[in-house]
Amino acid sequence: MIHATLPNQQKDSGLKPVDNRSIDASVRLPVIILFGNAVHWLVIASLLSLIVSIKLIAPGFLGGISFLNYGRLAPMARDLMLYGWATQAAMAAGIWLMARLCGCPLGGDKGDGLGGMLLRTLIISATILWNLAVLLGTLAIFAGYSTGVEWLEYPHWASSMLLLSFLLIGIWSILLFDRRRTGRAEVAQWYLVAAFCCFPWIYGTANLLLVWKPIQASAQGPIQSWYCGSLLALWLLPVALASVYALLPRLLDCNPNRRHLATLGFWMLLLIGGWNGMDRLIGGPVPAWMTSAGVVAGVLFLIPVFIISINLLGMPRNETIVSSNFPVRFFLMGLYALVLVGVIGALDSLPDFSGVVRFTAFTEAKAQLWILGAVSLPLFGVLYEALPQLLGRECWCSTLSGRHYIITLVGLGMLIALMLLGGLFTGIALTDPTVSFLNITSYSYPFHLMECVAQLLLLIAALILGVNITRSLAGDYLLNKQTGK
Amino acid sequence: MHRLPTLLSGIFLVFLASWLGLVAYPALQLGRLTPVADADNGGTLPPVYGGQAIAGQRIYAMEGCISCHSQQVRQTSITSSDVERGWGVRPSVARDYLRDSTAFLGSRRLGQDLSNIGVRRPDAKWHFVHLYHPSAVCDGSLMPCFSDLFLVRKIQGQRSDEALDLTGADAPKEGYEVIPTVEAKNLVAYLLSLRHDYPLPEAPIKKTGPAK
Repeated sequence: MIHATLPNQQKDSGLKPVDNRSIDASVRLPVIILFGNAVHWLVIASLLSLIVSIKLIAPGFLGGISFLNYGRLAPMARDLMLYGWATQAAMAAGIWLMARLCGCPLGGDKGDGLGGMLLRTLIISATILWNLAVLLGTLAIFAGYSTGVEWLEYPHWASSMLLLSFLLIGIWSILLFDRRRTGRAEVAQWYLVAAFCCFPWIYGTANLLLVWKPIQASAQGPIQSWYCGSLLALWLLPVALASVYALLPRLLDCNPNRRHLATLGFWMLLLIGGWNGMDRLIGGPVPAWMTSAGVVAGVLFLIPVFIISINLLGMPRNETIVSSNFPVRFFLMGLYALVLVGVIGALDSLPDFSGVVRFTAFTEAKAQLWILGAVSLPLFGVLYEALPQLLGRECWCSTLSGRHYIITLVGLGMLIALMLLGGLFTGIALTDPTVSFLNITSYSYPFHLMECVAQLLLLIAALILGVNITRSLAGDYLLNKQTGK
Repeated sequence: MHRLPTLLSGIFLVFLASWLGLVAYPALQLGRLTPVADADNGGTLPPVYGGQAIAGQRIYAMEGCISCHSQQVRQTSITSSDVERGWGVRPSVARDYLRDSTAFLGSRRLGQDLSNIGVRRPDAKWHFVHLYHPSAVCDGSLMPCFSDLFLVRKIQGQRSDEALDLTGADAPKEGYEVIPTVEAKNLVAYLLSLRHDYPLPEAPIKKTGPAK
């Protein structure tokens, strides 16, 4: 496997970039803890998603116990996917990439001194706080303390813990950028700065106005939609794109050399991304201009998506590298998923089409493709790239990596195709008022049945990744034990 | 754009646009909507929820009803199917949510829209049986049983008025009865209060016909 060497530019300020080994040493523990926990939450979230999808074909499955009802398990699965897996993996990827791209160890040159140790202890405590908050928040939904606000179901104390923990971790990536030893900032670094600034703003505002101190409910709809759209487009997606911008050219050993395009893509994404969630409100109880804004934003979102994908997919590729390198393959698939998200989103925003498919599995497919495809696939890529470098040795079992890659893609492709088709089908049936709702429910049975198979594949893929990462880390432990002897 | 302050101010300004439009504006405009006078009975619209219905909203949130049920009738300019299906006599507007603590707009309809369930199903007894075992009254429903919201107890003397009229496999053993808990009563009170069959200044009712 080829490893990217970051960074490679000359500095313009007094201090010299530090070599990669000492940078990796300074972030090793926090990044590995974040990635490891993220993968474990991914496995649990996939298991819950499978149970939830089984409940749609057999409502009596695990029935009769209110804890295990669809209404509690579905938000648990979604929140674990968002905060347990995606956000946590994005923090890990962000910290590692930022330290590498800035040529600066976490905690400065005295990284191995007392200050560095205190800093690492602080960050590691913050990661523990994050995981504790995710665990307690999930248990709270389970026990019936859900707020009932979509994607923000965690009770106020859990969401405050998450925000605090994010601030303690995220601030370092901004400080690293400020103290970078390399010259011109790369686009990847802009994406990281933007993402790490936006998350606290998005999460803080939404929680403040919807959970901590809820404002009048008539104003909550637009804020909810803004939150869902911004979380994906301004936090998770920028980190995923930063990974691709930072690693893909280096792994393919070529220079994208179209910086103006990358710059344009970055600003367009930030400008339009914030409006992206409004398609959830087309035709809803909001002023008419918001519906129009939702339509416009949904279609305009294609611009940054196309710019970014032309920029990154247009690079000359050496097929032998592509076929032998899992991070590259994950990055490329993530970009294809992003293009598909853009196209589905644009279709979904057209008023006539939206009238048919809104509230069906079609719109859910877009959210799933976004989280499991455009965001998760590049994050898998960073994970596969970062861990061997952080551990300083090859650690992945390539058979397992290969199976994880294939099964993830097959499961995801199947899930999205079924949801799009099933959604379109039920949407068209719903436009005919003479067809009863229960009748339509029975039509969607075959789709729900096959979705269970897709979810099972995704669970298997997550388990394979879980085994692979546990094996890698345990290998490290065993190695240490041996050398210790 | 290579210095942190420049980059940060750029990000701030670009991000501020959507924040102002989608957070600050709704908070200042929609958040200050007021009830209107009800000419018919001298009250206000939307009507105030009773205490039980307010407690019922909590149950609605904690059971995650929003995962499957929306509470919005879409504008007829986008689709007429919501109104034609009898889910409401007029599209929902922001003022309809004035009395709610959380706007349960929803994003998926695995079950029917509930914004006017109190109009369509005004009978509390029906709701209790439906919550206890949905497919008993709606064959083929995907809804799970909420039997935890009910108590099965031995009949003491006379059968309670509140006891559910269950038939077939759902019926309790001889000498026992199924009665709703406080939670179930609150939830049903909330569901029954979900009715937007009155006109608002910004949402008149165009054609008059019995809501089904």
